[in-house]
Amino acid sequence: MRRQGAVLAVLFFFMVYLVVPGQIMAAAVEEKILIYDEAKLLTPEEFDELNTMANEYGAKRETDIIIITSKNGENVDVQDMTEAFYDEHAPGYDKSHGNAVILTMDMRNRDVYLAGFYKAEQYLDNGRIDKIRGKITSDLSSGDYKQAFEKYIKTSYKYMGFKPGVNPDNILFNIWFQLGGALAIGGIVVGMMVYRSGGRVTVNRQTYEDASNSGILDRQDQYIRTTVTKHKIEKSSGSSSSGGGGGVTGGGHSHSGSRGKF
Amino acid sequence: MNVIEYKCPNCGSGMVFDSETGTLSCHSCGRKDNIEQIPDPLGQQAFSADEVQEYHCTSCGSVIIVEAETTATVCSFCESAVVLGDRLSGSLAPGLVIPFSISKEKAMKAFRKWCKNGLLTPSGFMTADRIKGITGMYIPFWLYELHNKVEAYGHATKVRAYTKGDYRYTETQHFDIYRKLQLNYLRVPIDSSEKMNDKLMDKLEPFPYDLLKSFRTPYLAGYVAEKYSYTDTEMLPRAKDKIREYIESAISSAVSGYSTVNFTNKEIDTRVKNVDYCLLPVWVVHYDYNRLEYTFAMNGQTGKVVGKPPISKAKVAAWFAGISSLSFLSLKIISWMMGGGFL
Ligand SMILES: [Zn+2]
Ligand SMILES: [Zn+2]
Repeated sequence: MRRQGAVLAVLFFFMVYLVVPGQIMAAAVEEKILIYDEAKLLTPEEFDELNTMANEYGAKRETDIIIITSKNGENVDVQDMTEAFYDEHAPGYDKSHGNAVILTMDMRNRDVYLAGFYKAEQYLDNGRIDKIRGKITSDLSSGDYKQAFEKYIKTSYKYMGFKPGVNPDNILFNIWFQLGGALAIGGIVVGMMVYRSGGRVTVNRQTYEDASNSGILDRQDQYIRTTVTKHKIEKSSGSSSSGGGGGVTGGGHSHSGSRGKF
Repeated sequence: MNVIEYKCPNCGSGMVFDSETGTLSCHSCGRKDNIEQIPDPLGQQAFSADEVQEYHCTSCGSVIIVEAETTATVCSFCESAVVLGDRLSGSLAPGLVIPFSISKEKAMKAFRKWCKNGLLTPSGFMTADRIKGITGMYIPFWLYELHNKVEAYGHATKVRAYTKGDYRYTETQHFDIYRKLQLNYLRVPIDSSEKMNDKLMDKLEPFPYDLLKSFRTPYLAGYVAEKYSYTDTEMLPRAKDKIREYIESAISSAVSGYSTVNFTNKEIDTRVKNVDYCLLPVWVVHYDYNRLEYTFAMNGQTGKVVGKPPISKAKVAAWFAGISSLSFLSLKIISWMMGGGFL
């Protein structure tokens, strides 16, 4: 019994360890500037907070999570702006022109563009990066920039934790689903054990049936009518304002992408 | 004379039914009589039809203290087996019996083993040394033969889905269905003892009917037996209730190949073809734990044990935590294998 208890305790702590997010071990390395807030959408406090967050989360995925806001005085296309930024600033966590994901806000045309380079191109493909844009668009539209950027950083971090090609929003990957499912399984199994502890009924309808004198005497299956309903198939390509996807920068750096209005 | 006793023709000691050999045997001299070949004293004696208030042991003469339902017991003074003949004759005469094949020693052993196997019972309970009493009891059952004519009417659909162009079509075919079934059930057992918990008795099934024997009083020698508290007519609703779920499942299995089936009307005509009054063997175990008394029952033929044991909250919690943790770990591993990162 004592040994059994010890095993259970280990399992329990293991479970707790898995549930508590591993954010506590934040490293105190020097921060780089990852937010270029030319359009002044953020207060200095918000800027500091988000920049720290982008550094922390980016480091775990070995990717620079970058935000650019622009008043776009020269009226450049938002995708060109993003590609030009990548070519000129040469960002990247691992090396210059390395792994990076960039969120570009064109405040003049209210265009938004997201691009993933190298590791981020692979892990944040057009489909995933489209989903990220979908999650932040409503916050951007209502001017809740800080919250939108926070979501962008966290979701990019989260999605990069899944192997390329799988659906990151699969319910099986959700820790609360996993926890709830595990507790439900435990409850059902133990409930069955309690229920069955008093013995159970082991007879069924065959036990007392006189098989030689029982059976179907007559059957009728009368067809009456057929009804048909039809539904238009929704195109799964998602939001209407999106277009383009990825591309290649002037400097020859391929990237994934998603653009839209806000 | 309403009390039957079994005296050994050789030595005069009391004889009892022996579950090992299935004979009436004498513990003093070892004589064993085949029950089916010896004359049953019940047939030889005449019993007064009046309700008898008091029974006297023919061996020692003392008053036998019995309850109103008791038909067989053991004299509490001299331990001779006594059978109350007037409570087993006339309309009270059982037709069939399944004798015990599990002896008291075997029953105790089996019960101890069952206690040890309880995964949720408190550890103190598992010692099984608190058995207060174990009694071999013949419980009165009615065995019903019920013939059912069943007619069921309903509505069924077959659903097919396909896509054409930009549209998804769902095609539903509707049918009126009708089924006529004959369902005969043989020897559906319903316990007619007031004392025994019905649910407990239901779980003791099945009893091996191939071991049914014509009733003879020597089978009761040395055991406790009861007469029925309720007549077969009184218990018929319970019998119908019991076969109701069998009929329902037979109806459902008579319809196949549809996406949905809905019965609108079911007509069930049940006829009672035959009822047998039967005594079935049950070991009843009384057990003390934490000042509460628990009752367990064991099928006297198959050894199946039923009854609610005490449940240890600590063990329930431990199992719950263990199973949940393992499930969580498994889900984590599955999601990790699917490409979803471990943390
Ligand atoms: Zn003898
Ligand atoms: Zn006596």
